[in-house]
Amino acid sequence: MTTTVVDHPAGPLGRPGAAPRSTQPWHRRPGDRLKVRNALIGWTFILPNFLGFAVITLVPVLTLFYISLTNSNIFGTATFTGLENYVKLASDKSFHTALLNTFYYAAAHIPLTIVVSLSLALLLNRKIRGAAFFRTVAFFPYITSIVAIAVVWNMLFSPEFGPINQFLGLFTDGELPGWTVDKDWAMPAVIIVGTWRDMGYYMLLFLAGLQTVPAELHEAARVDGASAWQRLWNITLPCLRPTMFFVTVMITIASFKVFDLILVMTDGGPGQATLVLSQFIYNKGFVQFQFGYASAAAVVLFFICILVTVVQFLYNKRKEA
Amino acid sequence: MNRKIMTAVGTAAAVTLALTACSGGAAGDAATEEPAGPVTISMAGWDLAAVPEFQTLADAYHAANPDVTVELKEYPAGNDYDTALTADLAAGTAPDVFIVKNLKNYITFQAGGTLLDISDVAAELDPATGGLEAMAIDGATYAVPYRQDSWVLYYNKDLFAQAGVAEPDGSWTWEDYDKAAVALSAAFKAAGSTATGTYQHGWQSVVQGFALAQSDGASLDSGDYSYLEPFYEQAIALQDGGAQPTYATVTTNKLTYQAQFGTQQSAMLPMGSWYIATLVKQQASGEANAFEWGIAPIPQLESSTAGVDNTPVTFGDPTTMGINSAIDEAKVAAAKDFLAFAAGPEGAAALAAIGITPALIDDTVTETIFRLEGVPTDDLSKFAYTTHETLPENPVGEKTAAIQTILGETHTAIMSGSVPVADGIAEAEERVANEVG
Amino acid sequence: MAARSNAPAVAARVVLYVVLCTAAALILLPFAWMVISSLKTNNQVFTAPVQWVPDPVRWANYLDIWARSDMATWLKNTAFLAVTVTFLQVLTGSFAAYGFAKMRFPGRDVLFLVYIGTIAVPWQSYFIPQFQMISGWGLNNTFWAIILLQAFGAFGVFLMKQYYESIPDSLCEAARIDGLSEYGIWWRIMVPLSVPAIASLTLITFVNTWNDYLGPLIYLRDRELWTIQIGLKSFIGQYNAEYALIMTGSVLSVLPIAIIFLLGQRYFVEGIATTGVKG
Repeated sequence: MTTTVVDHPAGPLGRPGAAPRSTQPWHRRPGDRLKVRNALIGWTFILPNFLGFAVITLVPVLTLFYISLTNSNIFGTATFTGLENYVKLASDKSFHTALLNTFYYAAAHIPLTIVVSLSLALLLNRKIRGAAFFRTVAFFPYITSIVAIAVVWNMLFSPEFGPINQFLGLFTDGELPGWTVDKDWAMPAVIIVGTWRDMGYYMLLFLAGLQTVPAELHEAARVDGASAWQRLWNITLPCLRPTMFFVTVMITIASFKVFDLILVMTDGGPGQATLVLSQFIYNKGFVQFQFGYASAAAVVLFFICILVTVVQFLYNKRKEA
Repeated sequence: MNRKIMTAVGTAAAVTLALTACSGGAAGDAATEEPAGPVTISMAGWDLAAVPEFQTLADAYHAANPDVTVELKEYPAGNDYDTALTADLAAGTAPDVFIVKNLKNYITFQAGGTLLDISDVAAELDPATGGLEAMAIDGATYAVPYRQDSWVLYYNKDLFAQAGVAEPDGSWTWEDYDKAAVALSAAFKAAGSTATGTYQHGWQSVVQGFALAQSDGASLDSGDYSYLEPFYEQAIALQDGGAQPTYATVTTNKLTYQAQFGTQQSAMLPMGSWYIATLVKQQASGEANAFEWGIAPIPQLESSTAGVDNTPVTFGDPTTMGINSAIDEAKVAAAKDFLAFAAGPEGAAALAAIGITPALIDDTVTETIFRLEGVPTDDLSKFAYTTHETLPENPVGEKTAAIQTILGETHTAIMSGSVPVADGIAEAEERVANEVG
Repeated sequence: MAARSNAPAVAARVVLYVVLCTAAALILLPFAWMVISSLKTNNQVFTAPVQWVPDPVRWANYLDIWARSDMATWLKNTAFLAVTVTFLQVLTGSFAAYGFAKMRFPGRDVLFLVYIGTIAVPWQSYFIPQFQMISGWGLNNTFWAIILLQAFGAFGVFLMKQYYESIPDSLCEAARIDGLSEYGIWWRIMVPLSVPAIASLTLITFVNTWNDYLGPLIYLRDRELWTIQIGLKSFIGQYNAEYALIMTGSVLSVLPIAIIFLLGQRYFVEGIATTGVKG
């Protein structure tokens, strides 16, 4: 799923990722005391964040796992029902629809957003006049109120009055897409808006990552006569791998969890054309108060994300090695 | 390693459960108050700056009972009210009295043990109180209606006169309404105007609320939704014929009914009675144009319920008030008395004075409402306002919320033209059988 | 990067700017619509077809919003929360990231997966147990709830860790040999070298806290504690919505972030991260 394909994994700076054990100083020196000391120091770094994280986030998330095994309706006492919720999910057609739609959204949104935001970052990482302005513009969709985004895009997509269809009408006499009010076009419409909204956000992350690419490498390659394309492929992308991994994981998770954008754009409609897992969970939990059932769906979503993340993690490790 | 994780999970989960258990009990520990002394009861309301009804009821009650103060606790408006209140109820931090805003959730609040049995309060109320009867669950009542809006037909008298179409006379069936809408649109078009005969908002209730209320033997729980078919055929015909903006335009351009009717883009509007006060206000402020308007009974499915000598059937969910079961025992009596007041004639009078339709519509209420500046005073408007059989859109039942979610999806599918009417309804029936059981 | 002034390069540059300007105009369209709508009356905001020029132009919305709402309080509260949360998130996040990226101890990778794992759980599915817990401590309806909620997220740790991993270990080793403690390495070497990552984490955390809606919605009840997003939503009543004022408020709430971004983006300059390597 990552777009990183690398011919020369090791740059002159050594491997960008975690180095193999043998190069770490404390493994060359024997002695358990040192290991213990290192572990302790490591923990002191992690602890301030971990304490807050464990109490505020981890504990409620673990509770959720338990709730998914009960018939909780939020209030009152819940009865332990074992895997009943999961069995029910397996035959729930709405859940299947939501699952398929979520995969549809993710499959298109992930590669599209990575390509667009990386291109933007590469374009705006140069010292061109007005770069600050254009970077800010690219980030604007992410900070603009989501209500305004939904309203404007819905208007642009309006089948009768929308500028998009008026524009398309110049080229064809055939039937024009109904976009957000058509069961086949609603999802593409939402994907377009999703990519448009997120591109500035991930551009920002790529921009930060691009600053780790040493300029002298590019200079040396240029002297050797490497084309811009070769330099991108052989220098920029390999150096960008930690960022690429981070962005890919974040986009993947965000795509599988997509919620507010679809809620304001189409509210899952028309029919169930854009119903995604997060909205399914919300509907079951807060509209129908089947909290145990909603939790089970959330756990399924969690495992899908973890599975994809672990695959990316292993792929990344293999590329690093 | 797996076992280690599982142990960690187990421990942490146990800790949370212990923590949540503690927090749940906190509300019950408050010291018992002297029943005779001054009592303060807290009440949940939403958006207090823009919605005066809660403060009005609290003030009116305090004036009549100086010993009791009703203190408001503010919640966000819209569906967020339910989300935030649900969180508070789950954590045991909700106020003594709260509004059950959406009838759909009443049964869950009750089943979750968050509502006190107030059958004694309900028994004292006027049986004519709108929606009261439907609140009983297994013979007991847990919340009482204090306001109830009913759906009526708003029409623009100026536009009707301009188009030369006869105004509603109270005897309309949906067929008459369709004919008028088509005739009005044709006349506007001939005059070079883009206005439409009517405006039906994109909500599920605009089609399904009437269908459920007016069709013989229709019931949400039955799993048979063929009663929706004629209503959808009609709605589709109206938009296909250009007598009303299409669903696609309504949703993608986020049209608002206030702008459509208030700026004379449409000559008719089926809408709840809450819009009376809004339209009056918007005409006064200049946000809506100045024009003559009136309200008529909502068109009927059968002519047997139409006409001013019959009682027209319409729909509308009551807004109800209940008592938190975690309330301090010393305050229960005061809280019950407040509910009886709010849902009774005194509360009704106080609400009518600010233009809100209470659940109990008596002569005082009607007089008060129609004395307000800008409200139409013709006989048909008064008839439409006072005389109706209003059935709930979301009848109290365990499956209502789940069924309405499915029917809501059916609504968007049919109205957007994604499925033919009959197929959409057949699919809904199948899904209700499969998912709700 | 010095532009050679031959014809193809100039032409390429012109094309680049035409593309950039067109893209910018398209991207800013929703924002333009926001501004236009903020100069209309409520009943003019949503029309078919779209009315692109407000008539009459209603500047009064920009005065009304201060008089008719607690806009100043909302802005102040939101700014306070955004600054506090961002500070804590960046500090604890980058600190923990050093532990994950440059230290080696048993259980490290599993712990890290747990961090990422929680990102994958949608908040709306576990905020009730979380709310019960935080209410149990009596912190609901206080700013503490929002600060606790936002400041210790896994996101910052993950972002900083990935960045630290692209900084060569040889630098740390050299510093260790020079006798610098691990904390010293973090503060003197890693923090200065990761300015671009800190800048992006700061911007993103700031924007997320600024625009957060559900968190304040669940936790903050009192009007004095409201944030800008809660405040704006209060213009949508049960049956009526003041769309013109919502858009006015949205424009006002976007401006501070846009300015912060404009100032912050200058930290994404090629070379910052590598200067240390050369030295």
